[in-house]
Amino acid sequence: MGDGPLLDRAFLEKLERLTIHWQKSFAGLVGGHNISRFAGAGQEFLDHRHFHHGDDLRAVNWRAYLRLEKLFLKMFQVEPRVPVRMLLDTSDSMTAHGGAKLDYARKIAAALCYVGLVRLDTIQIHGFSDRLSQRIISTGGRHRISAVMDGLAALASGGRTDYLGVVREFISDYEQRGVVIIISDFLDDQGCDRALGYLADFGHELMLLQIWADEDRTPPWMGELDLRDAETGAALKLDVDEEARSRYTHSFDEYSAELERLALRSSGRYAGVATSQPLESIIFGDLIRMRGIA
Amino acid sequence: MYFLNLSLAQFLAVFGTIAAVSIALYLLDRSRRRQVVSTLRFWVAADQPSVVARRKRIQQPWSLILQLISMALILLALAQLRFGSPDAAGRDHVLILETSAWMAARSGNRTLMDIARQRARQYVRAIPAGDHIMVVRADALATPATVFEPDRAKIDAAIAGSTPGSTALNLEQALAFARRLQSQVGRTAGEIAFVGTGRTTEMDSAAMTAPPRNLRVIPVPDAIENSGLRRIGLRRSNEDPDVWEIYVSTRNYGAMPRTVNLAVDFGPPKENTRTVVGARRLTLQPGADGEETFEFRTRAAGILGVSLTPHDAFPGDDKATLELPAQPSLTVTVYSDRPELLRPLLAANPRVVAFYRKPAEFQPNAPGLVILDHFAPPQRPQGDSIWIEPPPEASPIPVRTTVDQAPFSGWNSASPIAAGLRAKDFKLERAEVFASSPADESIGSVDGGPVIVARAGTPKIAVLGFHPALSALRYELATPLLFANLLRWLAPEIFRRSELSGGSVGAVKMTMEQDRDAAGVQVVAEDGSALPFTVRDRALHFFAGAPGVVRVVAGDREYIYSLTLPELGETKWQPPEGVRRGIPRSLPVPSTSHDLWPWLALAGGLGLLAEWYLFGRFRRTFGRRPVPLRPRAPAEVEVAHR
Repeated sequence: MGDGPLLDRAFLEKLERLTIHWQKSFAGLVGGHNISRFAGAGQEFLDHRHFHHGDDLRAVNWRAYLRLEKLFLKMFQVEPRVPVRMLLDTSDSMTAHGGAKLDYARKIAAALCYVGLVRLDTIQIHGFSDRLSQRIISTGGRHRISAVMDGLAALASGGRTDYLGVVREFISDYEQRGVVIIISDFLDDQGCDRALGYLADFGHELMLLQIWADEDRTPPWMGELDLRDAETGAALKLDVDEEARSRYTHSFDEYSAELERLALRSSGRYAGVATSQPLESIIFGDLIRMRGIA
Repeated sequence: MYFLNLSLAQFLAVFGTIAAVSIALYLLDRSRRRQVVSTLRFWVAADQPSVVARRKRIQQPWSLILQLISMALILLALAQLRFGSPDAAGRDHVLILETSAWMAARSGNRTLMDIARQRARQYVRAIPAGDHIMVVRADALATPATVFEPDRAKIDAAIAGSTPGSTALNLEQALAFARRLQSQVGRTAGEIAFVGTGRTTEMDSAAMTAPPRNLRVIPVPDAIENSGLRRIGLRRSNEDPDVWEIYVSTRNYGAMPRTVNLAVDFGPPKENTRTVVGARRLTLQPGADGEETFEFRTRAAGILGVSLTPHDAFPGDDKATLELPAQPSLTVTVYSDRPELLRPLLAANPRVVAFYRKPAEFQPNAPGLVILDHFAPPQRPQGDSIWIEPPPEASPIPVRTTVDQAPFSGWNSASPIAAGLRAKDFKLERAEVFASSPADESIGSVDGGPVIVARAGTPKIAVLGFHPALSALRYELATPLLFANLLRWLAPEIFRRSELSGGSVGAVKMTMEQDRDAAGVQVVAEDGSALPFTVRDRALHFFAGAPGVVRVVAGDREYIYSLTLPELGETKWQPPEGVRRGIPRSLPVPSTSHDLWPWLALAGGLGLLAEWYLFGRFRRTFGRRPVPLRPRAPAEVEVAHR
């Protein structure tokens, strides 16, 4: 990590017009900017339904009652405040190949936080590897971005990825459904599909941002290699040729496609991000295209 | 084509070893790259079989071949592969130029050194331009003046800078040195040319009858008549220490009898104020030595000059000077009410000047040694002191008790103060027994404890618990001996016996009167620096390479060597038959030979660079081609739940 800020001022200014976008409807108190299919204390009429005991009498359509002698309740559209949580992978695999992935992930997280701060959204950021670690709360408006960037820069890295354990801990800590943005390389030897399925089944909307270094997708090495897993330390001696590299890239792409299918199946979003791509093209290209921000 | 540094067998052995190690390392998987990756799952998924630990075949033969060729080229460069025959390379000659003291002798209007320089230059001109020459100056030591130098101007400067030294030629050592030099340099050995008179010190004849085969002798004629001083010895007479006994040895080095005047004078350095000690007229036969002795009475210091006249062609050994030290004396101040008891003891020693004072006249800063007889001053003397029967309450060494009629039990034979003391069968009528500390040295004792104690340090103190002249010891020989030993212990520099020798520089052998440990001997040059020496079988050996004064201190003896005479060789070496002589018209010019090593080294380096460029540099990124990002399928499911 360099000593300067994660994002410069010019880039932050470009982010001001953006909004974090989600597709699911969540119940919640008024104050957000995405309309919900759940009725609430809004101003705009949504629908009628039958009155049940316990309903607010102030919402009864008394005109309809006089005409039809039945109690109908008026429902109003609401823009609830939806909790946004961000999980940032800080495991050892993110620091392989010089730590470019973790740096890139920090920058994306900072950019998304700034988008949220501009819209007065509150975003809770967690680092994780085998369990949730530090928590950074991004709230209070755009002028708080410096503190958030400092917090992101200070996130400690290390450890082995355990998605299942992290998701269990997350679900037990946060009962209110919301948007979960996961920025990770999703390289868990146990697989992360089950864990992500749990999150989606619990009602969270997933936004998966898969970060990879070029060496992760298209390994440049040839010949006889003694490969070491950055997280487990496991070794594998291989004689790598062009064909093996092609098979490797194919496997990687298959895995990314599987992640994307998993996200879409659960009404979430997915974006694959190579660290060699400019950050601006990711924010204003891939994330807008997948409707993660608008 | 040949190797300058290695033989073919050595080259093949070294290259075979390097090649075997390289191939073994290649096959033993020493080059497998370690790489840390984010995960292994895709490698496993890539269905790539693991490799075995060792390679079974060479997979990049061109890389290995290029490496081996490059290493062979570098090894050839190190071995200095050359075109031509070994004889074609320039040869290394050693020019031994004699710079002994004898080379200062005059022959006509030139010195022998001038003639030797001229011969040396003539020899250098006869050497082919491609040959290298090292100039070695030879006197008692062989000293290289240049490296193996192709530049004739530097050779000429070294020859011009060679001057006669002070020692005699050690030709055997010079030839051995030259041979060693030629063997250490890997080039072809040329000649060893000796330019000089060959007048040398005693030599191992066996070694010199079989000189090196490549020796060439360029003689410098030295048919010069010379007689000179060989050795001068001075010592104080045993009978009268004020008298110097002078011994002068002379020698006629020439081939004809010679009559000379030998004169000895003494005084300050200015010659017109000097006193004549003696003069003799000598006739020296060819090759014979003459010896003369003189006696001269003086206590003063001064310069003793010895000269031979008339002067000859080598005036360096016609005159010698020695610096005579003054006869020192010890001032002793005796504070006693009965000085007549001590007067005979002190008067017996000619180096002692005694003053007798009453105890009331005591002065603490009296010069020299102080003797306090039955008296304790209010303030202790600042110098060394002998206390005789001090009052118990004021004794410098506490008095433990006083004994009467105590039989004397013995002397401490380990102490130099008790050296030679044998008296034992006597009784002390009354004596103080001291409570000595561990730092004190007991000299004599009775059954109750020490009665004579010495304390080293500054100042030195000796305490006698009884008066020797008032006890039964007064009839024993031990009494004057005890005082003599005490004075010698208290002031060793006064009683040190000096012997002076005038001689020639070079190796000096000195026979000592008794065995001494080397730790107790000091050999000091004129400038105060210590000279290296060896002690073997009571003989001390040291080497003085330049004229000067060398002092040897061994116990109570001091030997002063005034090494101002030049050392002359007494033997004229005659080269055996078969040895080349004279200056050659010109040595055969070898055919040219070309050094290939710079090109071989360059080619080897380029080969390794090419191997790295072709196989090593891209080993990490070999075949790296950008793989396009996986084409994105349009989102299959995009459901808005509202």
